[in-house]
Amino acid sequence: MTATRRRRPFGPVRDLGYVLQFRLATARNHRGRWAVVAMLTLSALVAVLPAYIPGAGQEGAAVDTLILLSSGYVAFLVLVSISAISSGGGRELIPRDQAAPFPISPATDHLGALLLAPLNIAWLMQAWLLLGATAFGVGTQYLFWAQCVCVLWILAATAIGQAVAWTVEAVRRGPAGVALVRSVGVAALASAAVIWATGNISTLLDRSPSVWLVVALIVGPGKIWVNVVLAVLSMAVLATVVGIWPARWAASRMPRDEQRLESGSHPPRAEPRSDLAALVRVDRTSVWRAVPMRRGAAMLALAPGVIAAAGRIGWDSMTVLPGLVISGAVLLFGVNVWSLDGRGALWRANLPVSPGLVFTARCWVLTEFVVLAALVSLAVAAVGAGVPTGGEVVALACTLVVVTTQAVGSGMLWSVRNPHAVDLRSARATPAPPVTMVGYSARLAVVTTLTGVLFAGLARFGAWELSLACATPLLLFALRRLVRARAEWLDSDRRAQVIATVAA
Amino acid sequence: MTSEDTAPVALSTLRANAAVTVRGLVVRFGEVEAVAGIDLTAGSGLATALLGRNGAGKSTTMRVLAGLVPPTAGEVTVAGHPVADAIGVRRATGYCPDIGGLVPRATPWEHLQLAARLRRLGRGWEGRARDLLERFELGSVSHRVTGGFSHGMGRRMSVLLAAFHEPQVLLLDEPFDGVDPVGVDATMTTIAEATGRGTCVVLSTHLRELAVQACDVAVVLRGGAAAEPMAVAALSGSEGAENYRRLLTAT
Repeated sequence: MTATRRRRPFGPVRDLGYVLQFRLATARNHRGRWAVVAMLTLSALVAVLPAYIPGAGQEGAAVDTLILLSSGYVAFLVLVSISAISSGGGRELIPRDQAAPFPISPATDHLGALLLAPLNIAWLMQAWLLLGATAFGVGTQYLFWAQCVCVLWILAATAIGQAVAWTVEAVRRGPAGVALVRSVGVAALASAAVIWATGNISTLLDRSPSVWLVVALIVGPGKIWVNVVLAVLSMAVLATVVGIWPARWAASRMPRDEQRLESGSHPPRAEPRSDLAALVRVDRTSVWRAVPMRRGAAMLALAPGVIAAAGRIGWDSMTVLPGLVISGAVLLFGVNVWSLDGRGALWRANLPVSPGLVFTARCWVLTEFVVLAALVSLAVAAVGAGVPTGGEVVALACTLVVVTTQAVGSGMLWSVRNPHAVDLRSARATPAPPVTMVGYSARLAVVTTLTGVLFAGLARFGAWELSLACATPLLLFALRRLVRARAEWLDSDRRAQVIATVAA
Repeated sequence: MTSEDTAPVALSTLRANAAVTVRGLVVRFGEVEAVAGIDLTAGSGLATALLGRNGAGKSTTMRVLAGLVPPTAGEVTVAGHPVADAIGVRRATGYCPDIGGLVPRATPWEHLQLAARLRRLGRGWEGRARDLLERFELGSVSHRVTGGFSHGMGRRMSVLLAAFHEPQVLLLDEPFDGVDPVGVDATMTTIAEATGRGTCVVLSTHLRELAVQACDVAVVLRGGAAAEPMAVAALSGSEGAENYRRLLTAT
């Protein structure tokens, strides 16, 4: 019997339901479902509670917040677009190799990527910031109406960002696409730098149509509110539907970045001088020859630094940057670090070398990766920040060391305890299932942000001795996780399980 | 099937030259018993085929012999090293895993360089590496990452890596799977050379005829346990195929 292909208008939606059911059925535990429930509850609280803070919806700080909200809405659109572009069109509901036997259409893939967009800590933090700021700005009077506008904008911006990302991905996969996309990126960055240098950012943002969103928040239910809601809703629906075309276009083209890496020649290098150097070299190739790691590192090293430089963030506040960048870098592969070997893990496990040395090499490669991203980010952010004081330098150095140890320790421990078989070839691949990634992201974000905030306070205080005194116990506590991760890796039964899992 | 066809190989001969000795091997993964009391002896200078249905415990046994999976119970000695001495076992063995076996973003040459370094091969390893790459027709792709390899190319490279350092015990798990005839010939040559040097080869495969060509002794695993070793000739031809089928399904 020959199956005839008929285009069903709601077919992709139905298929998305099936794929989602399959994904949930294969989830190993129910913690992921609880994470989603917790995320929704937290979102609801963030959208309501700030409206009850003293001063909310009144003259002063609330009005200042409303003035800034227009720019905040634009920034959200820019950041979700960049995030979707860097991940090659958004995350996969099912990893590519597992999806191969199923006829999953690009339209279903597009809807799946949209559905997964909120399972990303960067998206969540920004969405919560907008919801919270909106609630604080308008107060309790028009809260419901205001949050309707805000939520719709978040959805519309995500759908627009997704459509833009598919388009960029399709172009990138075309002839000379990589060069074209890079040129456009550099041109955009240069234009932003010119606008920033000439002091025209405020003028430009004031002319943004997003001002109408803020007007709708302020006036509440009425003609303007209805018009704005209809406009934003139309944008959301249109972007969702229109996004299917570039998704199909991208799916019809071969991913050039991956092809280039897999078909290119890598000339032999001189023999390594030690066992550790040999192990580190192979681990480095696994990191730097992977598309998601290269793109992710570039994005993490540049984007937060550029934003910090544009906002002229001072040295005392810069302590928040390493936590953000290092957490993001660890989330690229460090939470499932043994999966770098893929199916080669079995062969590597047969090599006569101590497991401790293997652990040290992997840990070293992860550490240098995250520290490099953080240093580049800090260097970019330092443009125009002036000369730091001694206290600020010490506070920043302490943050870098502590946050690196916290993030690397957590990543190494999770890698041993919860390994996954993943293929990190595609730009859309993640080292763990999406819901698990949200849990990891949230935990890393909380710990590293609090550490950054602590050292920001100490930097303002100016006493470098205090920074060192606070860093020592934090560092020792973070090192405990690393020591535990190493001990668990050295256990032969545990190691065998990890290897069998990542090589499966 | 006559009793002569499946007559056990003289165990005393095998034991005299035993490079691999397994007694009462049990491997459990949680509630799953992957290997349930295997006894196995594989001699130096001989190629032993490990045969059996899917899930019979072949690959798990191979992983134990390669020092990757610690046994739940039983005694396993590889080239004189108890498997608890994992580093000793790994030095003595070369292992081609049943799945993949290659680091996806490293090139064949980088694999060989790492193996040469960690196995202390010293200067001169490059010549043997190049010879093997040519034999397995991988010379032209030796500086390309293995993630872009076809399945057959990956299998060939995996066999090459296992044999590269001329180990005392060569463990080949499904080395012929998806490999073209030229690659099969290269693998056969490598096995013949290894046994000629006195290496103990243990080979797991579902391809009976290739096992007959490559090996001297066959051991059939059933339900996680092993039957007595037999001369591989007993599994040759159409009659051998019938014997093999009976052995696989016998209770």
